[in-house]
Amino acid sequence: GVHCGACRKMSVYELHYFNNRGRAEPARLLFAAAGLPYRDIRIQSEQWPEYKLKLPMHQVPVLEVDGTMICQSVAIARYVAKVTGHAGKTDLEQAKVDMLVDGIDDVMTKKGDYVWHEKDETRKMEKKNAFYETTLPQFLSRFEKLLLTNGGDGFLVGEGLAHADAWFLCLADDVLLDFPDIFTPYPKLAALVERIRTYPGIKEWLAKRPQTEF
Amino acid sequence: EKMPAYKVYYFNARGRAEPTRLLLAAAGVPFEDVRFEVEKWPEYKPKMPMGQAPVLEVDGTMICQSAAMARFVARETGRAGKTNLELAKADMIVDGVADLMNAMANYHYYEPDEARKAEKKKTFFETTLPQFLGHFEKLLVANNGGDGFFAGDGLTHAETFFLCLYESISKENPNVLNAFPKLTALVERIRTYPGIKEWLAKRPQTEF
Repeated sequence: GVHCGACRKMSVYELHYFNNRGRAEPARLLFAAAGLPYRDIRIQSEQWPEYKLKLPMHQVPVLEVDGTMICQSVAIARYVAKVTGHAGKTDLEQAKVDMLVDGIDDVMTKKGDYVWHEKDETRKMEKKNAFYETTLPQFLSRFEKLLLTNGGDGFLVGEGLAHADAWFLCLADDVLLDFPDIFTPYPKLAALVERIRTYPGIKEWLAKRPQTEF
Repeated sequence: EKMPAYKVYYFNARGRAEPTRLLLAAAGVPFEDVRFEVEKWPEYKPKMPMGQAPVLEVDGTMICQSAAMARFVARETGRAGKTNLELAKADMIVDGVADLMNAMANYHYYEPDEARKAEKKKTFFETTLPQFLGHFEKLLVANNGGDGFFAGDGLTHAETFFLCLYESISKENPNVLNAFPKLTALVERIRTYPGIKEWLAKRPQTEF
């Protein structure tokens, strides 16, 4: 690139997570969309007991920015979005993006609840069925409407890709594994998923990223 | 510039609306504090963006999700940190606090089995909560010694969420912050903050 005399040194970004998409992938997608380099650190499980002690809340993901550690996946993704101009243009747009992210996060948490935290096999199946028969369709139906309030053929909020879209792709990737037809009743959302998948930078990342189960 | 018209919609409780109310109070911004009875909720629900409360209405636009609402008010009123990094530091505290509030809601509202409920509550108060309060104390201290706020040099949405958490946990255990002197002092700092102090004295007194 071209450097002017007054430009600042670029920050050094390191993203710490396990070798999964999980809660780090929204940030990875945003780095990719901006072509912003970062160190994509993937921790082995044997390292974890000691590794976590260095982290602000003993959890991952953590984004290290010139040595300062930020934890909490939603806060991290928002930070990367802000730095790369993918956060929404006005305070109100940013709030709309934020609320959609929180809505997606709620649904992911509900899914995580039966996948990771429900030990009883019968209750796990019951919760999984409730998720796919009720929770997810209600959510997708609402989101289809919210997308339509923004025209329907672009992104979730405003005119450009924002962190809400990155989160949405992650949710889609996850649920489509279980039910490839889940988006059939929601054509605008299905088109949005494709729009995000083919976004410059994201498209290349999807082709080259480590292939992991979740 | 004309000040926007703010309305906060919620049940008659502190709950998930209070962090936003506290920020509006801190900024001296008038707002319509709409509190509906549980029986009225089915009327309001279809009008809300995600069928949930709380909702913040700003000149007719509805924003839902408690953290998004609070962050919006924080930004509008100059209490969201000065840089992207400061905002991220405030946001991560809010998310950590929200995780704890969700864990509490989990055993309190969503665990039907009494024995499992008691077990989860015990684990929360004996293990999870002290661990996270420890993290918060460390993070507070890392911000210029811990005698100010979580991010930057002013009150942010991190403080209003933290006060709300404190109000819930201290009801169960008034000594919950005994091992965390900086957090203890922070609670007082928030409580006596101009605007917040007056609001705490006059707000409706509710159980949650």
